[in-house]
Amino acid sequence: MAEVPDEQLMLAYRGGDAGAFETLYTRHRVSLFRFVLRSIKARAAAEELFQEIWMRVIESRATYRPSARFTTWIYTIAHNRMVDHWRRGGLTLVSLDSEDLPANDPGPQRHVEGREALARFAAALEGLPAAQREAFLLHEEAGLTVPEIAAATGCNEEAAKSRLRYAMAKLRAAVDDG
Amino acid sequence: MADERDPKVSKRYRELASEEPLRELDESILRAARGANDRPHAPLVTPAGRHRWYYAFGAAAILVLAVAVTVQIERQRPDPEFVPASPVPQAREDDLPKAESRITPDPAAKRQAPRELARDAAPETAAQARSRVQENKTAEAQKPEARAESAQRPMAAPAAPAQSRSDENALGAASSPRESAARAPQASPAPAPAVPPPLGGAADSAAQPMRAPAARARMAEQAAEPPERWLERIVQLRKEGRHEEAEKQLAEFRKRYPDYKVPEAALKGEK
Repeated sequence: MAEVPDEQLMLAYRGGDAGAFETLYTRHRVSLFRFVLRSIKARAAAEELFQEIWMRVIESRATYRPSARFTTWIYTIAHNRMVDHWRRGGLTLVSLDSEDLPANDPGPQRHVEGREALARFAAALEGLPAAQREAFLLHEEAGLTVPEIAAATGCNEEAAKSRLRYAMAKLRAAVDDG
Repeated sequence: MADERDPKVSKRYRELASEEPLRELDESILRAARGANDRPHAPLVTPAGRHRWYYAFGAAAILVLAVAVTVQIERQRPDPEFVPASPVPQAREDDLPKAESRITPDPAAKRQAPRELARDAAPETAAQARSRVQENKTAEAQKPEARAESAQRPMAAPAAPAQSRSDENALGAASSPRESAARAPQASPAPAPAVPPPLGGAADSAAQPMRAPAARARMAEQAAEPPERWLERIVQLRKEGRHEEAEKQLAEFRKRYPDYKVPEAALKGEK
């Protein structure tokens, strides 16, 4: 059975179907939260922004028009909220030092190597310029295409493509080093 | 965008972490979504609920303002009874400062001048009439006791004709600016007799609003009468045998138009 498109769910929520919103939220909550968390240093701030984004979705339901993908729309909202956040404070990535590792523990030696490789990758991701990191996260987490990244971040497609290419090259180098 | 995607990078990124929002956060957002759906949509433009009174208040304020402006305009509209029949031309207004500068007021002479002299004085220009009114006002301001006296006095009957005559002369002069301009130098030698005493002037100004509209209209009509028409009337009086009245009219005419050539028909019986 085919999934109901996001746009249709949003229209259903606009029409009063609260269950449609729950479906939408379940689909996007993890990817959106990661996108925000890896763009914002503090978890508390990320949670606050995450809630603000969804509240904006709820408030804007009356004016929602399915002219673009719902994903592009909600990540545009997220981008704007984060720009506001960056204006208020600094731009850093959340620390990955204390993050849990995957459940499959390959052993002490591999464990150490894996931690080092992940740390290098995390450092490379954190070291990306904000625009490149955002382009990568939108591409990787939200699954946006270059034109959609351009639409969500308010730049032209060439710029979006260039940012994504630079980000991928740096991260690829970090993976290869491991 | 398949060309930009690198499986190794994606795999490593997925290994980073699997952070998820807290359960409390999820519940809070879903509760807000359900609560928003229970409420009616907020209108985009029209204020709802307690803000609705803005419109009623604004409409009432506009209505009150419109009525007030209309009433004010109606009140400020000039009374047609006090509007002169033939307004003084602008040229006469321009002559006003020159005429005022020529006439040097002599309060002593003014006080001694009898009212009859003022009535029969040489014809005045509008400038003289205006200057006289101005002088009267000045004299009133200088003598408050005189003002009080004039206020106690009944509306003096002799004063009204004097003022009427001055008005008549002013309006008559307005009807022929060319001739009044020629007469202007002749008015300067005898300004004092033409000026009534201040008390009379005050009485005149007090009596002015009491004047009947019919009398004002008749005076305006006579003042606006051209000299040719006036002479025709004199000739008609002579034809009817009313020589005495014709003589009076002729004398008045000569005072008003001293340089006007009077036809023979109007002069008949003068000698």
